[in-house]
Amino acid sequence: MNDFNIIDYAPIGIMFIVAFGFAASQILVTQLVGPRKRTATKLMPYECGKDPVGSARDRFSIKFYTVAVIFLLFDIEVLFMIPFAVAFKYLLDQEKLSGVAFGTIAFIEILVFISTLVVGYIYVWKKGTFDWGLQARAEAREEAKQALKERKQQAIRDFQRAA
Amino acid sequence: MNTILLQNLVTPNVSLQAVLPEMIVAFTGIIVMIYDSFMPKQRMVTGALSLIGLAASAFALFSMWGEAPASSWNGMIANDGLRMSFTLVFLFVSAMTILISTVWTERENVPIGEYHALLLFATFGMMFMAAGNDMVIIFLGLETLSIATYVMAGLRKSDLKSNESAMKYFILGSFASAFLLYGMALIYGATASTNITQIASMVGKANFPALLLIGGAMLIIGFGFKVATVPFHVWTPDVYEGAPTPVTGFMAAGPKASAFASFLRVFVIGFPLVSGAQASAFLHESWVTALTVMAILTMTVGNISAIVQNNVKRMLAYSSISHAGYAMVGFIGAGVAKTMQDRDEAIAAVAFYMLTYAVTNLGAFAIVTLIAQKNDRRTEFDDYNGIGFKSPVLAFSLSLFMLSLLGLPLTAGFMGKVLVFRPALEAGSTLLTVMVVIAVVNTAISAYYYLRLIVVMFFRERTTSWLEPKVSGALAAVLIITILGVFYFGIFSDNVIEKFSGKPSVQSAQIK
Repeated sequence: MNDFNIIDYAPIGIMFIVAFGFAASQILVTQLVGPRKRTATKLMPYECGKDPVGSARDRFSIKFYTVAVIFLLFDIEVLFMIPFAVAFKYLLDQEKLSGVAFGTIAFIEILVFISTLVVGYIYVWKKGTFDWGLQARAEAREEAKQALKERKQQAIRDFQRAA
Repeated sequence: MNTILLQNLVTPNVSLQAVLPEMIVAFTGIIVMIYDSFMPKQRMVTGALSLIGLAASAFALFSMWGEAPASSWNGMIANDGLRMSFTLVFLFVSAMTILISTVWTERENVPIGEYHALLLFATFGMMFMAAGNDMVIIFLGLETLSIATYVMAGLRKSDLKSNESAMKYFILGSFASAFLLYGMALIYGATASTNITQIASMVGKANFPALLLIGGAMLIIGFGFKVATVPFHVWTPDVYEGAPTPVTGFMAAGPKASAFASFLRVFVIGFPLVSGAQASAFLHESWVTALTVMAILTMTVGNISAIVQNNVKRMLAYSSISHAGYAMVGFIGAGVAKTMQDRDEAIAAVAFYMLTYAVTNLGAFAIVTLIAQKNDRRTEFDDYNGIGFKSPVLAFSLSLFMLSLLGLPLTAGFMGKVLVFRPALEAGSTLLTVMVVIAVVNTAISAYYYLRLIVVMFFRERTTSWLEPKVSGALAAVLIITILGVFYFGIFSDNVIEKFSGKPSVQSAQIK
């Protein structure tokens, strides 16, 4: 306990230096090498594709946020799957050694976990989150309906004229 | 160490039976959610499914009632009177809310399946708040509940008031959750445990008593926000006014009761008076005094603000604040109880009070929903002018609910008040006696605004036209259940209170 050695923490220090160095080098390189074309859009603060100045009560597409939520879903899935995968090998060995079904139980448990996530996946799928052209398609459908209506009216008018 | 871990993997301390009511509600929620995504056009099925799920959960709850008090899941889930009685309140509130919402969802074309799923998830969260014998479970339940209710408050998407309500509730609610979490962390620092039973045994010999005090203060802020006690009540009127009316009824009856359940568990059971330990005596005295002052303020401010309101929903919001104050009188009574039996009885009294309040309040909100019409147009006092003899059924039932909120004898509200005031009065301390006197004076003050609604309905001339709303089958069922409930709890309260206090809390069962 007492033999505290600062050298043991050197990797963390190196990690910090690399992190700072990476950030600084990126900024420097873009400043030196990158071409500069300033446009109004480029100079705007980044706000996920929304106009940053103006009323906050605008309507905006919610798609961006649902994607973030789904990302979280899969992110957490992976977060649990990796430790499981690491431990699974060890558990299988233990199963062979002791005869108790450690590996099988762990496998069933991870399946239960995945199936709960799949329920969420099915839900977002059915809700049309992956349907990127939803709005465009609805507009097209509306347009087609309008065109059909006009054609029908035209036909009626033609018929009346003929009569 | 590895063998212990492996052993836990094979035979974990898991008892699915102990969380069966919660599991049923959660699974029903998931089924409702999935069903709705496949059949988006349905209007009735998810409501029926939810009601069946809640009934099944209540059945599971009743079958557990006879069991001896115990804790399972490594002491994280308690199976005691506090949990049983409060869970019953939540299931009742949720079922009534589904029935009341039928009018509103029909009128405003709400995404109905999502609404039912959210309501069930909120119920699930509330049930865990009452069942959790561990700070982590309580916080988990609280967050599940809060996130679902934030969305429900904003369900009238095109209405600015509803948006404001959801936004305010979300921001202030997250703020309160942060306080709560920080308090829990400090308590953990002082007692080295998040388990309520462990904390109760450690308060006498805490590592650093000041941490306990600061942590306790932060918990009071967090729970005080959720219960809407006075220094932390400012969000209530705006949120309650803006939220859709059935959701307001739900928020006033359900989440408030669930916050009381965990508030009771953490303070009354988790921070008891341990004889011979100075730190625990100081902590106990501080929280009792702080809550007494808060209770007095809550009752007074709630009632006096309710007098000047011109909107019925806002009036009911302030009335819910003052009722939180009355329930806190019982809470403090439980905190100062001298014997374990007295304590459990006082806890049962608070649960009973929340049940009577839920019955009365949901009945009142059912009628307010019905009269409000689309987009909650008619919620001012003026809109109730002279409807007394034009729609006698609605007016008389609403009058009954107002009288029960006021606490007239023979109604549920009266018995609830008597039961929560008694333990505080029996404690014999001057401060608590003063508090009970103020509570009684406040009841008299509250007569003004409860009776005002009755006066408006029966003795004012109506200048605008009155279109009598149609009472649907579901709403008629709600009215019948709540009216019968008001009388049943008012006259035969003994049956219920015996059932509620028949099962002691886990901790007192262990001591015996």
